[in-house]
Amino acid sequence: MACGEVHSSEKRCCRMISPAHRGQASIEPSINRSDNLFSGKMVFILGVNFPERNLLKKSLESFFGIGNHTSSRLLARFNIHPTCRVGELANKQVLDMTAVLSDMKIENDLRREVLNDIKRLKETGTYRGRRHALGLPVRGQRTRTQIKTPVKLNRMERRM
Amino acid sequence: MARPTSNGLVQAMQSLRLSSQFPQRSLIPSSRHLSRAYATEAETETNTAIQPESIPDLPVQAAPEIDFSTSFLRNPARIVPASPSYFSGSPRFVDHVLHLESLQARYAALPQLPAGEAPRMAWFKLKQFREYVGEAVPVKKYKSLVKILQRLNRIQPEMVPGEVRTVLDSFLRPGNPYAVVRETPELDENGKARAKGKRKESKAVVHLVEGEGEVLVNGKSIVEAFPRVHDRESALWALRTTERMDKYNAWVTVRGGGVTGQTEAVTLAIARALMVHEPGLKPLLRRAGVITVDARRVERKKPGHVKARKMPAWVKR
Amino acid sequence: MASAWCWSCLSRLRPTTRAVLPPPSAIPRLTSAPFHSSAVQYAPPLKKKSNSMTQLKYRQGQTLRRKKKKTVERARPPAPGERKALRKRIILSNPNALEVEGMQEISAENIVDARLRGSVLGLPVPMLDQLRAVQAFKPKQGWSIFRRPGAVVRRDTVEMGRLFEKISGEGDAAEKGKVVKKVVTGTKGSGKTVHLLQAMSMGFLKKWVVVTIPEARELVSGDTAYVPVEGSKPTQYIQPGATSALLMRTVEANREVLSGLKVSQKHDIAGVKPTSTLEDLAKLGFQDPALAWPVFKALWTELTASAAAPGMEKDFQTRPPMLVAVDGLAHWMHNSAYRDTDYKLIHAHDLVFVKHFLSLLRNGQAEMKNGGMLLYATSTSNSPGVYALEVALDQMTARQAGIKPTSPEYPSAEAYSNADPRVLDLFKPIEGKEPQMELQTLGGLTRDETRGYLEYFARSGLLREPVNENWVGEKWSMSGGGIIGELEKLGRHVRSAAIPTPAAN
Repeated sequence: MACGEVHSSEKRCCRMISPAHRGQASIEPSINRSDNLFSGKMVFILGVNFPERNLLKKSLESFFGIGNHTSSRLLARFNIHPTCRVGELANKQVLDMTAVLSDMKIENDLRREVLNDIKRLKETGTYRGRRHALGLPVRGQRTRTQIKTPVKLNRMERRM
Repeated sequence: MARPTSNGLVQAMQSLRLSSQFPQRSLIPSSRHLSRAYATEAETETNTAIQPESIPDLPVQAAPEIDFSTSFLRNPARIVPASPSYFSGSPRFVDHVLHLESLQARYAALPQLPAGEAPRMAWFKLKQFREYVGEAVPVKKYKSLVKILQRLNRIQPEMVPGEVRTVLDSFLRPGNPYAVVRETPELDENGKARAKGKRKESKAVVHLVEGEGEVLVNGKSIVEAFPRVHDRESALWALRTTERMDKYNAWVTVRGGGVTGQTEAVTLAIARALMVHEPGLKPLLRRAGVITVDARRVERKKPGHVKARKMPAWVKR
Repeated sequence: MASAWCWSCLSRLRPTTRAVLPPPSAIPRLTSAPFHSSAVQYAPPLKKKSNSMTQLKYRQGQTLRRKKKKTVERARPPAPGERKALRKRIILSNPNALEVEGMQEISAENIVDARLRGSVLGLPVPMLDQLRAVQAFKPKQGWSIFRRPGAVVRRDTVEMGRLFEKISGEGDAAEKGKVVKKVVTGTKGSGKTVHLLQAMSMGFLKKWVVVTIPEARELVSGDTAYVPVEGSKPTQYIQPGATSALLMRTVEANREVLSGLKVSQKHDIAGVKPTSTLEDLAKLGFQDPALAWPVFKALWTELTASAAAPGMEKDFQTRPPMLVAVDGLAHWMHNSAYRDTDYKLIHAHDLVFVKHFLSLLRNGQAEMKNGGMLLYATSTSNSPGVYALEVALDQMTARQAGIKPTSPEYPSAEAYSNADPRVLDLFKPIEGKEPQMELQTLGGLTRDETRGYLEYFARSGLLREPVNENWVGEKWSMSGGGIIGELEKLGRHVRSAAIPTPAAN
């Protein structure tokens, strides 16, 4: 796990307390003061600016490819409590988080992969590929009613 | 009341019966009498005139001389029904009515009790009476009969003639339902009163003893059983309205239904148990409305309806 | 006619025709009010439908007339945090309530006075700030309906007052330096939290150090930051934010005591000088949450020290006894909402903060050398159901009833019930070692106490009915045997019913 690496390496979280680093820990700048009530600053995570008072979990879930499952595990991995605000993060934690996110297949990478998969289905001439191209449900749903979503999404030039 | 016409008819019938003995006196047994219908007890002299030919050995005798002075003239020329009400459609019923009316007229002078004090009698229900007489008696007519029965029943008990007594008894349903006197509930040996109450789907059993006002519902404190103050109040309303709240301890078991049903089942049960301790409180409890049974239940859902009464919306097509 | 008895319905507040007691010598006057429970009778008579189309006047237009929809002016939604502040706001005074004449204040002398049982003792004004600082007041405790905050003296209160005297070294049988450990239970509304509040006020009166955790749940609900302690196995977690808040509460409430005590031990914390007071020490903690836990540990060793470290004896003063009050113990008995790096739930006992306070409770644990009292409250009705805790409390009850743990009647966890061994271990009896844990169950008030409490309502102008024996007995039964929270509700109800409203229908 990446967390073990984080603990052991030099990049250890600034709020980790051990006797050797205690003095250093207090010197490190911490934005997580609760008395500032989150001034209008923004925090930069993976190229996106988030307002400080947003919930970190919700902010992570705003990335394509991260949902409840991944985000809660990400938080647990860095020992961040589930109701943490973006502004409460230490700089180090922001950097760690960004590093982990950049290793994950999210956003455009993920979109491209999904599109490629659909394209492959079409090119190999499968039934599913045809359904994608026709704008019809792919997985055997009924087509008599309630096919708004495939009509809207499935088309020749699929966009995500 | 006895009508002269009916008396005349009855006499005619009687004479008819006497004269009809004649063929039986002959040696030939006749089976015709057995198959007679019940109201047509009639015979004519023509029957006697026809002699069977199976007895030829007997010495021929001349027919007796017709005595015009006595029976011949008195016999009617056609079959006459036994009851004058034969053609009324429900002759047995009318007979009963006539009989009762005659009794009423005969004993009208006897002293009677005031209306409410007559002994309670369980007369035939309409259905039973119809079976009894074997006729389809209309409701209204049966009611008028019952009215006469009740009038006769009001005659002071010590002066009732035996005839009236037997007639009245013949109209009672089998098994006297008013003979069973309900036992008044009593305190048990520990001074505990037990009573039940029901409301909606709930059933409550209360054990009430003299005490300091502690109430346990299903083994819990009443606060836990009924968190709403309103429910608690209505459950203990019988004790509260009689100011007996701190004089009794109640142990309540209540099952089924929802909160309202349970509380009001408890209300009823406590009130009944309280009446066992202090029967004098009954009028007060009655006025407080806690011993009135609310017999309403949820009406059943019917097919074709959405709920018990609600119909689906009307659509043109 | 609508019946008048249903006065707890808010829909129709009318004076009750309560059955009033007849004069005691007279024959009982049988008065009553009709009983009902449905609101059917309350329904207003059906209005005739006024169809505007049918009431057309002569020569009026026949076109459809429609009412214009009113545009509702929406007020701006409250600012972030405002709603919560409103919810958490604690109002301690109601200027409309009457001042109760002759009301005594709680003081160091009268906390053991058994004659005061049933009377309401006011809390001194200067103490209110301290009590607010330790968050002794909770919203919805009914503080806002009286002129000034006060609490009833009940049997348990007087007993507790005696304990305070003993531990402080006063009174007849002084047991200075004794530690009393109590788990306070009771149903909802039985006055556990107010009992803790009374303990705190006594602590302040006796100049003890008061450390409180007003909401045990907040430490395990996953709402404050947590940091693993390196090298601990199984991994322990520190909660810097919560610790810093605890230090703030403690300093704010005990400033007077803490500023009079000097540091007497050696601490490995930057910024601690031999001359600094304990207040200065604690302040280091809440300036930097990362330091909060070491500072708290240091403060704790200072407060429990019975002698100074060699070389620092100059300013040493004996430390006062301590009061530790925790509300909501059951929340500390199961898994917290925090997760470890493997996404497994962390048990509450692995949080260092929680573990510290629970270890104090352990039987035979005598870390508090200067004496003091531990009060850990938990509800029997509104708390997370922890089977192991239930068993442990049953066992404690059995032990207090004199049943030996070896006897067959001694309750134990059922087989396959999967009771939490850590919880059972925490409450494990240890023979012969003092101090032992005790279980204190708060029940209802007695009738006399109930009467005193309801009279306080009357004297505050909240009740208009004569408080007599019968009426009190009725309320006592209605409140399930004097459950004080229910009595308070009933007191309020009567108040609303006493407002005369015209009989509209």
